[in-house]
Amino acid sequence: MKILIELTVNEELCRLEVEPQQTLLEVLREALHLTGTKEGCGLGDCGTCMVLIDGKPVNACLMLALDAQRHQITTIEGLDNRGGLHPLQQSFIDAGAVQCGFCTPGMILSAKALLDINPRAGKEEIKKTLSGVLCRCGSYPKVIEAVLAAGEKMKGGH
Amino acid sequence: MNPLYVGKSIPRLDGLEKVTGRAVYSVDLALPGMLHGDILRSPLPHARILEVDLSEARKVPGVKVAISGRDFPFMFGGMIKDQPFLAIDRVRYIGEPVAAVAGESELACQEALTKIRVRYEELPAVFDPRDALAEGAPLLHEGQENYTRFGPFESVPGTNICSTSTYALGNVQAGFEAADEIFTDEFYSHAVAHSPMEVHAALAQYSPDTDSYTVWSPTDGPHRRAKELSDALGIPINRIRFISMYSGGGFGGKGTLVAEGLAVAMARFSKGRPIKVVFTREAELTASQTRHAAIIRLKTGMKQDGTFTARQADIVWDKGAYASKGPDVAKRGSLTVFGPYRIPNLELVSRLVYTNKEIAGAYRGFGTIQVTWACEAQMDIIAEKLGMDPLEIRLKNCMQEEDLYINGQVMRGVGSKETLLKASQAIGWGQAKSSPNGSRRRGMGIATTLKPTVTPSDSYCLIKVSMDGSVTLLSSSVEVGAGQKTILAQIAADTIGVPLHSISVPHSDTSIAPFDFGVTSSRTTFHMGNAVRDAGGKVRRKILEWAQDVLKTDAARLNLIEGKILEEGVGERITLQALLAKIYQRGGSLLEVGHYSSAQSASLQASPDLQYMSSIFWMFATHAAEVEVDTQTGIVKVLKIAAAHDVGKAINPALCEQQIEGSVIMGLSNALLEEFKMKNGRILNDTLADYKLASMMDIPEIIPILVETGHAEGPFGAKGVGELAAAPTAPAIANAIFDAVGVRIRDLPLTPEKILKALREKK
Amino acid sequence: MKRLTPFSYFEPATLAEAVEILSGSKEKAYLLAGGTDLLIRMKRGEIAPPALVNLKRISGLSSIEREGQSGIRIGALTTIAEIEHSSALRASHTLMAEAATALGSPSIRNLATLGGNIGRASPASDMAPSLIVLKARLNISGPRGNKQVGLESFFTGPGTTILQPGELITSVFLPDPAARSGAAYLKLGRGGGMDCALGCVAIFLTLGNTDTEVKEVLVAVGACSAIPMRANKTEALILSGSLTDGHIQEAAMAVAAETSPITDLRASESYRRQMVQVLFSRALKLSWSRARSSKDTH
Repeated sequence: MKILIELTVNEELCRLEVEPQQTLLEVLREALHLTGTKEGCGLGDCGTCMVLIDGKPVNACLMLALDAQRHQITTIEGLDNRGGLHPLQQSFIDAGAVQCGFCTPGMILSAKALLDINPRAGKEEIKKTLSGVLCRCGSYPKVIEAVLAAGEKMKGGH
Repeated sequence: MNPLYVGKSIPRLDGLEKVTGRAVYSVDLALPGMLHGDILRSPLPHARILEVDLSEARKVPGVKVAISGRDFPFMFGGMIKDQPFLAIDRVRYIGEPVAAVAGESELACQEALTKIRVRYEELPAVFDPRDALAEGAPLLHEGQENYTRFGPFESVPGTNICSTSTYALGNVQAGFEAADEIFTDEFYSHAVAHSPMEVHAALAQYSPDTDSYTVWSPTDGPHRRAKELSDALGIPINRIRFISMYSGGGFGGKGTLVAEGLAVAMARFSKGRPIKVVFTREAELTASQTRHAAIIRLKTGMKQDGTFTARQADIVWDKGAYASKGPDVAKRGSLTVFGPYRIPNLELVSRLVYTNKEIAGAYRGFGTIQVTWACEAQMDIIAEKLGMDPLEIRLKNCMQEEDLYINGQVMRGVGSKETLLKASQAIGWGQAKSSPNGSRRRGMGIATTLKPTVTPSDSYCLIKVSMDGSVTLLSSSVEVGAGQKTILAQIAADTIGVPLHSISVPHSDTSIAPFDFGVTSSRTTFHMGNAVRDAGGKVRRKILEWAQDVLKTDAARLNLIEGKILEEGVGERITLQALLAKIYQRGGSLLEVGHYSSAQSASLQASPDLQYMSSIFWMFATHAAEVEVDTQTGIVKVLKIAAAHDVGKAINPALCEQQIEGSVIMGLSNALLEEFKMKNGRILNDTLADYKLASMMDIPEIIPILVETGHAEGPFGAKGVGELAAAPTAPAIANAIFDAVGVRIRDLPLTPEKILKALREKK
Repeated sequence: MKRLTPFSYFEPATLAEAVEILSGSKEKAYLLAGGTDLLIRMKRGEIAPPALVNLKRISGLSSIEREGQSGIRIGALTTIAEIEHSSALRASHTLMAEAATALGSPSIRNLATLGGNIGRASPASDMAPSLIVLKARLNISGPRGNKQVGLESFFTGPGTTILQPGELITSVFLPDPAARSGAAYLKLGRGGGMDCALGCVAIFLTLGNTDTEVKEVLVAVGACSAIPMRANKTEALILSGSLTDGHIQEAAMAVAAETSPITDLRASESYRRQMVQVLFSRALKLSWSRARSSKDTH
């Protein structure tokens, strides 16, 4: 049973046919070729499939594509939409918060959701908010540094 | 000339691709005509396969390939050729691939798997290596003496002993007789998952016309994988092409054919269509590879003054069902049981034992983690009994510059003592404990270790300078996340004298880039770094020769810095780009081969017949931990870890810090949170909800400390860092727990249940 | 990775339509709310629902609203994150925010719903113990109309409830707590991050005339019996004396005796039993101190 749906991904309206059982993650990666959103477990445990729905982080592997209609979807590919890098992206590079990079999109998007609400978020709040994204390389300390640094830039009115 | 890039924390070259989501991993790759592959896995730990009926599976719409082991009856194995691509007539662990299907969609494959009928005859299974060693134990590999072996790995025919090795120095009996105290302890280091965030994934394409395979994979050693496939399939290496992708973490787990072998087997039957195999997280945890569990018995003789008289070690390694890299882990890993200490009399027996469980393989540390766990826990037991401070006893015994290693090799660049001093200082060793009120108690612990690197081994690279002066570095050092591309580009830029941004480091392609032993054993910076120095030096000399001709001056007066040719006392004469425009008027490229082999180094000289134990460099590390134990729940909170590592010379300090921080977190996660829960050979916790990895909420304050003792043969003095880094974490934490609450846990992991039980028993 | 297998899909626009589909469907239909549990079990092959009824198009199921002076009503599709951040709940039922924060990761909380968490009837539910001690009542719609039941009598076993075919939870009502009351929710997991509870305890306590006299106490324990359970005997024991260290210790022994934990891959039975005592003592002391410092009236 194919259903025609409309998704707004990174401010762009996409019309496509999906099966009800297709997750948002499958549609983003396979139909829309936005492979920056990763699949690390498919069960909501690792956070590598993080996307923002109306600015809030969700696990795209646990959301049916159908349910993503009528929402604003942001993937990692949408962060440097307007040319330059998002302050978080630059901070991740500068602070050395990237290792193998597989968790990086999920980390950056989770952090964006936090800093958009509270660019002054401190270390403990960052830890709590990002705890749903696992990183086996152990980039956590430098991710925290990067988010703090990006917060500094963002509260300066970026 | 002072290097412009080496020694600086240059932001990694792959950073931009990774923060934008544009970095492509194997799981992201899609090729025209690609089919998805899926695997039927054994539900039994040990059984004979009587029949595999694929007829119904083949009828599922969209399914193009359905095969069992009998369709692709080859064996592979980098050290011992004991493993089938798909089980042929026998399964030896739950999760072993039995059949494979490839189809137009994942759903078609999932359906087809449900239609495969397999008839098994169950065989008795054995899960504990001690049981597997017993007389009359069920055998996993009868006739294992007939397997092809790529190395001096001795099996014991008619037993489950996959390989065994012994070592002796001096006279341990005399050593024990001279001892004031003898300590006999048994320790257990548990199996853990590599659990990279990117699961095992590979694509393979077969060309029936040329009888050749192309494999896209994140493996850490593409040339050795190509060799393994070549040995398995009996086709020349040049018909197997490995194209590397970004690796979403490996930690040793991507160092053998895992998804690659399955994709290759299916590709043979898909009429040229590429096959993509992506493991589920469940398969990643239960049917890829693990760290070897090990039972380590140590008997150590000590003088009252805290010096060693002898050590005897008996190590049993839990192999799981197939050899993988186990024989070398058991042989080389075991040797670190003598620690970074001066011990006059030694004896070691190491046995690697097959069991009906998930295959154990290489894991960050390559055996050193298991052995360090035992040695450094016992070191504190010894210190306590002798009434010595744990730091003091380590300082008293640790190796010093030009000490002899157990095989007689002269040790140089020995940072053991310095790491001990710096880590202990950073944690505040010896300061009064500040335990909070209530049920929580604080303590500090320390652990130190050393690790060799695989020796001898070779790295080759090619450096290509295009006619505009831009540089391409072709190497097979895969970017596994540790910053390989960045390090090598830094070395190349400073060696040649060109700007860093003019260097590109593409992914490895074994049909283009020459041999490299692999990104393993912390060897890349040293070995490939030296190969890059070799090629880069040739490139530089060639350019300066050309400049001498063009500029009509003496090459000795010329220098190449940042892509500009300068003459002594004159200044800039010509840019590299302008020079090459003159040389290559009709186009061209400058190509140089770089090579480094540790085989010929004089520093490896050792006692007769024992040179195989020598290492081209030695890494030293000390971790000091401060913990807080909740005596009501047994929960351990690690407050702080200071980790000092002798890296020789940090080519990129920020990347070294990443390795140290990452290893501490991995070591902490392994030690406190991770454990396979088994029942009859089945792993029960097969998701990341139940197999816990440390999250951001679990991490302590980490203080990475770089010790730079230098190395005469290392590029700019560098050694390595990534592998050793996790080894001292677990014993440092366990020693801190003892300091806090007086209980000694000898078997990993350090769970709250065990600690609470020990606390109650102590009362 | 595993793909979801096809199912019949329904997207009712009204509650009545949903009830009609649920009671009329020949195939066993599962409700889809947040999906954070349902889709996992489907991918894991634990269930294979022939049909899914997605409730998200039905309006009015996801609000948090005051009901006059009596209490607060939370729609079944309200996400756990909305509960966590609701200023209305923080003002009157802080315990709900505490429980919500303990559930999964922030991103899971953005998807998971209160109704889904209750309907799943997991013995280790993070929300259920707090809801029980807050005297939550469930509003249920079904083919025979609407009804209200206390949460305490809702669960019948692991994964099973009193819901009849065609029935679904529409909202949860929480009466306002009394003055001089305090509550606490404590949970023990394996790691610091998102974790399934090894054991969890919620306590709601109202003080009498003195700071040691307990007027009312409710204790609920999770992950230590087949259902999230109310510890009635323990409550009675607490009420039988004033709050002293000795009395609290006695009550902790009682709560351990009252629960029936099992050994599973997360923890052993004996460890759970010990931990429930520790969690209980700590939660009781915390709710007591909160009650003492609470205002006399709400």
